[in-house]
Amino acid sequence: MPIITLPYDDLEKLTGTDKDTIIKRVPMIGADIERIEDESIDIEFFPDRPDLYSVEGVARALRGFLDIETGFREYEVKPYTVEITKDENIDSVRPIFGCAIVRGVKFNSSAIKTLMDLQESLHWGLGRDRKKVSIGVHDLSKVQPPFRYIAADPDYSFVPLDFTEPMTMKEILEKHPKGTRFAHILDGFDMYPLILDANDNVLSFPPIINGTLTMVTEETTDLLVDVTGLSNEVYTALNIVTTALAERGGEIEYVKVVNADGTEDIPLDLSPRVKVLERAEIDGLIGMELPADEIVNQLSRMGFGAKELEDGRIEVQIPRYRADILDNSDIIEDIAVGYGFDKIPAVFPMNATVGKSHMLSDISSDMREIMTGLGYLQVMPFTLTSDRVHFDWMCREKTDDVTYVMHPISEDQTMVRTTILPNLIEILSMNQHRELPQRIFEAGDVVINGKNGLHLAAVSISPQANFTEVRELVDALMRERVVEYEVVESEDPAFMEGRRADIIVNGKKIGVMGELFPQVIVNFGLGQPVVGFEIDLLD
Amino acid sequence: MSSQYNLTSNEKNVLIALENLKDASPDELADKSEMKTETSMQAAFLLEEKGLAQVDETITEIFELTDEGKKYAQEGLPERQIIDAISGPTSMDELKDKFNPAVAGIATGWLRRKGWAGIEKGMIVPTSNAEKGEDEKILEAFAGEAKTFEELGADKKVINDLIKRKLVVKTENKKRKICITSEGKELVVAGITVEEEVAQLTSELLKSGEWKEKKFRPYNIHTAPRPIYGAKIHPYQRLIDEMRRIFLDMGFTEIKGEAVQSSFWNFDSLFQPQDHPAREMQDTFHLSSRSELPLEYKDKVCAVHENGGETGSTGWGGKWSEDIACRNVLRTHTTSLTIKYLADNPEAPVKAFSIDRAYRRETIDPTHTPEFEQLEGVVMDKDMSFSNLLGCLAEFYYRMGFEDIRFRPGYFPYTEPSVEPEVYVDGLGWVELGGAGVFRKEVTAPLGIKYPVLAWGLGVSRLAMLKLGLKDLRQLYHSDIDWLRKSEVCQL
Repeated sequence: MPIITLPYDDLEKLTGTDKDTIIKRVPMIGADIERIEDESIDIEFFPDRPDLYSVEGVARALRGFLDIETGFREYEVKPYTVEITKDENIDSVRPIFGCAIVRGVKFNSSAIKTLMDLQESLHWGLGRDRKKVSIGVHDLSKVQPPFRYIAADPDYSFVPLDFTEPMTMKEILEKHPKGTRFAHILDGFDMYPLILDANDNVLSFPPIINGTLTMVTEETTDLLVDVTGLSNEVYTALNIVTTALAERGGEIEYVKVVNADGTEDIPLDLSPRVKVLERAEIDGLIGMELPADEIVNQLSRMGFGAKELEDGRIEVQIPRYRADILDNSDIIEDIAVGYGFDKIPAVFPMNATVGKSHMLSDISSDMREIMTGLGYLQVMPFTLTSDRVHFDWMCREKTDDVTYVMHPISEDQTMVRTTILPNLIEILSMNQHRELPQRIFEAGDVVINGKNGLHLAAVSISPQANFTEVRELVDALMRERVVEYEVVESEDPAFMEGRRADIIVNGKKIGVMGELFPQVIVNFGLGQPVVGFEIDLLD
Repeated sequence: MSSQYNLTSNEKNVLIALENLKDASPDELADKSEMKTETSMQAAFLLEEKGLAQVDETITEIFELTDEGKKYAQEGLPERQIIDAISGPTSMDELKDKFNPAVAGIATGWLRRKGWAGIEKGMIVPTSNAEKGEDEKILEAFAGEAKTFEELGADKKVINDLIKRKLVVKTENKKRKICITSEGKELVVAGITVEEEVAQLTSELLKSGEWKEKKFRPYNIHTAPRPIYGAKIHPYQRLIDEMRRIFLDMGFTEIKGEAVQSSFWNFDSLFQPQDHPAREMQDTFHLSSRSELPLEYKDKVCAVHENGGETGSTGWGGKWSEDIACRNVLRTHTTSLTIKYLADNPEAPVKAFSIDRAYRRETIDPTHTPEFEQLEGVVMDKDMSFSNLLGCLAEFYYRMGFEDIRFRPGYFPYTEPSVEPEVYVDGLGWVELGGAGVFRKEVTAPLGIKYPVLAWGLGVSRLAMLKLGLKDLRQLYHSDIDWLRKSEVCQL
């Protein structure tokens, strides 16, 4: 989740209150304070609220929540003075396009940084790392309208940001740091997106890099915002960026987009979405009856427009920068957050049900009672392990029933175990500085052919450990389980020949026991005899 | 009278023996009391504690010649050997020819220090008649035996010099002398009867009834015992069992399920968008295998993702891919089990819980492990509300031993409203402990779940760190056997 750095001077000015009030109340709108510094505060906002990824957006939300300025925030949008034509070839490459102008913004270096951070957070949060949404912000005074959004030949060249010499788009993807990082988004296309001005100067090569010509500096006042991508989140991002700039004093002006077929679009729409909520739905979800004026008041504090209709329902105006409102429950949550979770009564449901433990838990619990009674300590190792420990060190052949993970994070954890014994011996190897004898067991899950199983295994290490010890142990266990069993010679290479036995129940092998093969003991770095057994508890 | 001291028969024997001894050595005492030296001394110490005897310890310093010292005692110190062998100025080379070079080397230093000779232009020049020094007298005084300071009649500095020259070593000799005190004497004079004491009760003593006549040797109850440790269940298991009991007490049914889950049950059914970052390979253990999608749900889940289906939601937009939903993963949360259970058991009311392992593709460090236990509770019934969810949380955490709980807004993709419960922990303040919410309609409707579902979960291993005072989560899984042995059953 993105962590947003909010400078106090900006935050206090834009919110209209002091930083201590803000620090105290901000967690209650849904945020985690990460760090409190001398000049700024770092806050982690939830990923569903990209409108809070900037100091302007946070200030807007706080003004409502702190009763400084409540209700739906209206932004004046001036008519277009700039047109952009959209080339038909672009529809198969990066079809969704949004664009707007914001004039009269005063920038200092910190405001520029905030704007850059907002873009990056949106690229991550809404854009899935620029794939679905990418944003460009340009100094409008450096270029000449009308503009064109086209699919261009990869050999088209211009000077990208951070470079001084022209490069072709192909070269940018190969050499520019942003190019190499995001080139995968354009894999498989033979034409690349490009935004040009009337003189064929490049504003942007979405979603990779802007031209250096339109770079925003402290002298910039008028901005062109372009957002391109694959989905409707493009428009949400456009709304978030333009309204954030308007919060800083800018005047928004929409841009007309002329499509290849001659139709026209106005991508910027800041008029509210409207939903009507039934009171029963609100009260039912929160679990208490809220008066209509309370609901309206809380919605206003959360930045919505709201009024009670004559039939008692609540009409809600939803700002276009709110990406998280998918459904009524999202609005109702905001009512609850505004009202305060601490004021909602906590009522334990009085519906009667009968509790029941799971059969597998009951089995494991019985095994723990038996094994601790026999002097064995319970351990709970990881179920992820590796071929090396699971098969190689055990001197066992690999089996074909193993679940391997596709992208292991370390070579110690490449697979889910099918047996428990290797884990137990590993624990012994970590405890060589501890007093002997050591006797440990686990009743735990294994995954065989993609399905969970339940095994019980135990090991004992001491200078006197021998077959008789484990033979008696297994006998005691099976007696306690009231299971008739027999033993036959085993061929399990993890155990020593002549000192190993398969455990048979109803003619089927359910496990094995014996003295571990000396090579196994050595493989695990141990220096004393080890005996052990493992059985399937579900067979 | 002797009863007030509660003497063992060993102590009585020693006390009687001491009466006729004066300043006895341990061996003399052992002889007289007819016991082993260790046993009699042990009794003597116990008598000393009771004020009936006194054990005096004197430390004597004993000096002894080293091998080198013995050699020089016979042959003379190197400087003596050389001064005796030369008559006038002699070159170093000549000395080294005549003597062992080591001897010559040692000698020159000492010749100068003792003022017996000087060195001029590489020549040793004798300057005095080299009278026999104190150190040489002492070497002779040893006469090859270990001697005390007094026996040698030596000067401390001279001895120390010889020790520094590694010709003499010093050892300390402890000598103990035991004598009876006046109280001890009184007691003996008053008369002590020594009767045989029984160390161990036997079945013969019981059967014969002899036990009635016998005196049993008392134990010193103040002797610290050797620590022993019983086999036991893992402290983490006790915590898990406690939580299971709380759920069972509250009428919840325990559920279990597969570690291998389709993306459908792990993510899609929970309205997690298919391009959500948590689904990527950075966070999730993907598997190469695939699962069949449940026919009765897959189209509805598809619709709710793409456009909200019949729920009134906008959905996530875009195209929902069956291919992505089929791919198997190691379950990243146990919610994949609860949601499937709810789909399979649509009849209200349902109260269910699970405490089981979840897998995340995390690098192991003290606070992250790629697998960990997750607790999950759900309530599905008519008219369930967020208020009821807060009620469940308050009750659950109270039973877990947290009396102060508060609720903060939270975010989870499949719940709305969502809440993060925080509990107050002395010394730590408010600690976030898990997450909760009411399942979104986008989750329940496609699966045919008609009533609201309240759900909450928490990372049990984090809680274990808090409750067991652990600094490193790995201790739970790669346990130190001594930690397990010493963990206290009633700690929690």
